[in-house]
Order: sequence, then structure tokens, then C-alpha cells
Amino acid sequence: MFPGIDGFHWTAAHVIFLSLFFAIVATIVATVVSASMRTARDFRTHHAADLCWQSEFAELPEANRKCRHELSGRVVSRICDNAFDCRHCAKYSQFAVLPATGLARDLGLHYPDDRLYHRGHTWVKTEEDGTVSMGLDELAKHLIGEPDALKMPEVGDAIEINQTAWRIQKNGKEILVRAPLEGTIVEVGGPQEKWYLKVRPRLNLQDPATLRHLLQGPEVHGWLTRELERLQMQLRASNTPAALADGGTLMPGLMDALPGADWDCVLEDTFLEAY
Amino acid sequence: MASATFTDSRWIARGEERTSLPRFLLWLTPWAILLAVGVYAAFLCLYYGLNQTNMDNRFAFGLWIFLDLGIIALGAGAFFTGFLVYILKRAELKPILNTAVVVGFICYSGAVAILMIDVGQPLRAWFTFWHPNTHSMLTEVTFCISCYLLVLSLEYIPILLRNRQLRKLPSFLIFEHQLHKLVPVLAAVGTLLSFFHQGSLGGLYGVLRGRPFAFRDGIFIWPSTFFLFILSAIAAGPSFLMLIAATVEKVTGRRLVPGEVVRRLGFISGLLLAIYVAAKSIDTLIWLNYTSPSAGFAPWQYFTHKPFGTPILFAEIVLFGLLPAFLLTYRKTASRRGVLLSAAALACAGVLLNRFVLTVQTLAVPTLAFDEFLQYTPSWQEIASFGGVLAYGVIVYSLSYRYLPIFAPTKGEHAHVSGN
Repeated sequence: MFPGIDGFHWTAAHVIFLSLFFAIVATIVATVVSASMRTARDFRTHHAADLCWQSEFAELPEANRKCRHELSGRVVSRICDNAFDCRHCAKYSQFAVLPATGLARDLGLHYPDDRLYHRGHTWVKTEEDGTVSMGLDELAKHLIGEPDALKMPEVGDAIEINQTAWRIQKNGKEILVRAPLEGTIVEVGGPQEKWYLKVRPRLNLQDPATLRHLLQGPEVHGWLTRELERLQMQLRASNTPAALADGGTLMPGLMDALPGADWDCVLEDTFLEAY
Repeated sequence: MASATFTDSRWIARGEERTSLPRFLLWLTPWAILLAVGVYAAFLCLYYGLNQTNMDNRFAFGLWIFLDLGIIALGAGAFFTGFLVYILKRAELKPILNTAVVVGFICYSGAVAILMIDVGQPLRAWFTFWHPNTHSMLTEVTFCISCYLLVLSLEYIPILLRNRQLRKLPSFLIFEHQLHKLVPVLAAVGTLLSFFHQGSLGGLYGVLRGRPFAFRDGIFIWPSTFFLFILSAIAAGPSFLMLIAATVEKVTGRRLVPGEVVRRLGFISGLLLAIYVAAKSIDTLIWLNYTSPSAGFAPWQYFTHKPFGTPILFAEIVLFGLLPAFLLTYRKTASRRGVLLSAAALACAGVLLNRFVLTVQTLAVPTLAFDEFLQYTPSWQEIASFGGVLAYGVIVYSLSYRYLPIFAPTKGEHAHVSGN
């Protein structure tokens, strides 16, 4: 029937039918090509990391998506709908001026005030040379204890906020530690150095919005209290009713001390692993 | 510890509870055996030819075509739900959208597989695209079903890429995100394609002048069966989705679709069924009083051959049409889940009966003076390949339910919106 086929001749039916058919085929192909090109563009423009995090964030349990202002007691209840991106949150300023409430008590973990904290249990400390150092917070260190192995990025590598910064191997499990800030790595440390990475931030540190997404002050206490409660619930012996300890502090090396616990679940919640 | 046992928990969406892997494999085993038998039967048909079936030149449409027409009609829930959600913006139906896509994909891929066996010579399938007979309804059906299966595959990909492990690959995640944003385009294309191929499947019976039982007058080039097929498919499609969801809920013991969504689907299905019944009744009256007599045939003679008596006509219009339409739309009956699902089952049975009548009764009843009433019983190869498609559907759906978020489409929607 088509050109090149014996006996073919165009008719109105051919033109209408085949035009419609190939228009549909072209639309389908264009849709796939467009999706592929947009995907490639997202990777070129660093937008892919944002999209990955937003997608993962949406899959996190609700308890892991509490707004920082709820943690500090500034609002009674609020779920973050902005993937913890307080830099561009329209509600941030509205709630930040409210007084923080709640009693602060000693939780037995050292969270110095000179650092800012990420929900993935890392901290950021600004250095005098314009870089920032990053490390694991106390709770994460108590959980993991001595790592079996580390997979650190190279100096000069770029890390993206909320994407994997480094990996820790422990008892056959791989823990993906999320980067609290985007930037370029200038030095690589480890547990002995008390910090894991030194990074030159991509954004201007003088801009107050650059570190706004990180927890500080009363937010840290509220967040940590909930994290410890979650941990107690998850690590309780099987077939025992839910109960919270009254007093006591977290012992170090929990992964070694409690090898039978559901560590997949604990680590997913602790390090904000969505899938 | 969980990691030391035989488990696939890392592939199951976080927070979702599924049966253990051994029990799941046990559930799949009989279906896998049925599929294997079906594949063997299909091999016999493809290797030795259609002499493996009980069809012949006189009875050229049999169990396979009935299966094709039936599952394509029941699979209409996919395009129609997409149309309602993306084109008419009925967001309340989103919880059922993913499962509609999976069901549609299974129905259409199963139909194409059966067509491949029925038509034979699958390696020459491209001939239909290079030598299209533009005067044939079947050409339109072939083109539209091929394209729509492609569309359904593309709609299925984002669901597939939402698997817990596949999402860990950033390129998959971003592609899924971008493709998801373009799904409304695919939904529109799917609606257009489905409209035409559902109609053309009906139309190809309506143009059979040599078979006055099926022949119908119509509008322009389209006989009335063109429009009746579309109407009956979009009426039965939502009912079939309700039944699938209810079956999965029964098997898993979990409530997966909000009651409001089920009632909404039921109402849509009932309303469309009522319109279909009205159109079908008018069409039947025209055929009884005008079309058939003008061709020289007394219409009631077609209903003298048992078992194809008038009770079938009554069942098609009243028992499987009017009755479920009433039960699905009347508030008091629709509020009772058991009644609602029974009515949905009646609606699905009605569309299957309609396809059976048009396929088998059309060919069985004599039309010439020397003709006899034909009887046809499918061979085991036909039945086995039928069963193979059924098993394929159960296996694909079971795997999708276990590893993909087919009942939780709204959970990650925020990421798509805010990521624009």
C-alpha cells in the first residue's frame, strides 16, 4: 500500500488515516524524548539532587517530617511540606519569631551550641577560613560505635545537600550519611579527627539563609528528645509493650550491643533513608 | 534476624506489609504452571498452525476473539480513569489510578498475545503497518491497540520505577518524575486511541452485511455497534476495577481503596450503564423493526436456536444492564458494599455476554437457506492459551501489588508538585 509497494496510490482515506496515526505515534515518541531530555537537563543543572530528595522526603514517615517549629514548641503540630528547605519556606519567618517553649533537660548526649544540626544526624561547623566542617552527631556515633569501614569522597568532589556524603559499613550494613550542605570537599577526615569532611560551601555563608535549614538552639533539644524516644521504641525487646525509660543515658556501640534488633528499620529512620 | 532469612523485604515499599516470600511463591506456583501450559499450547498453535484449534473457515471467531473483546472492554477502566483524573480533573479517583493502569496493561498485553497466536506468523506482524487496508475496521483496531499498548507501557513505567530499589537509582527516579509529569498527554492520547479501537471492535461486527444478526445501520461510516461498544466498555471498566480492588482486599485482608472512591466508581459505572442500556434498547428496537426485516430476515428467527433464545437478549439488557445500573446508582443500594460489588459483577458479566453474543451467536446462527446451526467447542489448546493469559494477568498483578505502589499513588504526589 505504501510508496514503493506495487499498486500503491494515495487516496483521501490514506491521508486522513495515516496522518492521524502518525500524529499519535509522533506524540508518543515526543513524550518519551521530552521526558528523557528533561531528565538530562535536571542532571546538568544540579536539579536532579533536589528532585531526588523531594521524592525521598515525601516517602519518609510522618514522624520524620515534623517541622522544626514543632520541635522547638513554637507551633503545636506541623508537618514540613517543603522537604526541610527552610531557605525557601514561606512560613519560616512567620513561626521563627514566636517564643520557643518546652523544658530542656540533660539527655546525656553532647550537642555543642557552636554547631548546626541536620536531621540526618550530621553537624556543620563554620570555620574561620570560610569552609565548614561536617561530622556525625553524638546519637549517630552512639548507635554505630566503631565503624567497620568508611567510603569517603575524594578531595575536589562536589556534594549535594541531602544526598549521600559518605558511607559507613557496620555489621554488614551500609549506612548512607546525608550531606547537610552543598559544596566542594577540601579535606577528608574520619572518626579519629572528630570530623569527616571539610567543605567549601557553594553558597555564601554570609547570607543568613545559607544555613537556615539546619537545626539550632531549642529545636535541637526537641528533635533529639523525639529521636531518643523513637530509638527506645524500636530497640525494645520483642513481645514487650511500648514503654519509655525514666532516666538513664544512651550507651555507646548499640549496634554491637543489640545485634538482634531490627537495624534496617532503625538506620532508615535515623539517617532519613526513604526506600 | 530478618536479613538472615529468605526474604525480599528490601524490594517492598517501606511501611507496607506483605506476606512472606515463601507463601507468595506458593501462591504463584499454580498460576505459573497454568502459564507454562498456556505457553506450550501457544507454541503448538504457532508451530503447527490453526489446525490445533476447533475453528474453521465458517467459524473463524472463537474463544480467543471472545477473550480479546472481553478483556479489552474490561480493560477500558484504564483509559477511562485516566481520562477522568487527568482530563476531567476528578482527583478523588487518584487512589485507583495506578491499579487501573496495571489492569489495563495486563488486559491489553494479554489481548495482543492472544491475537498474536490467533493471527499467526507474529514475525510478519509489521506487514499490517506497511500494507494497511485503510478500508478495514480491523486495521484501525490493530493500529490503535498497538499504540495504546505502547501508551499503557509508558504509563506503567513510572509505577515500575517507583519500586523501592529502582528509586535508589537517581536517573530512574528523575526519569520517572519527568515522565509522570507528561502522563496527562499520554492519558489524552490513550483516550483518543481507546475511543476508536473500542468503537471499531464493535463496528467490525456492525458492518457484516452477510451476518444480519450483527449488521446494524449507523451514522456515516460507523454502525451503531461502534458507539455501543464504547459505551459498554466505559460502563464496565470502572466496575471491573472495583471488583479487582475488592478481590485484592479480600485476599490480603486490607482496605486499599477508600469507600468513597468505590462508591464514586460505582455511580459512574451505573450512570454510563443506564445510558448504554437505553441506547442498546433503542438499537435493538430499530434492528427488530427495521434493519433485519429490510434485509429480508424475520429477527426472531435468530432466537429459535437453543441455547441462544430470547432469554439471552433479556439477560443482556435487563439482568446485566438495567438491574446493575439501578443498583449502582440508587443511593440506598449503592451504600451497601455487597450489593455494590454484586452489581459491578453483573455489569462485567453483561459486557462479556454482549461480546460472546456478537462473536459466537453471530457465527452460529444460519443466514442462508442451506446453512445449518453451527456448533463450536474450543480445543484444549485454545482453552489452555486462554488460561495462560489469565495466569499471566494474575502473576503480573500479584508482582505489581507486592513490589509497586499500585494502591498508594497520592503518597508521593507532593514531590512531583513541588519539584516542578
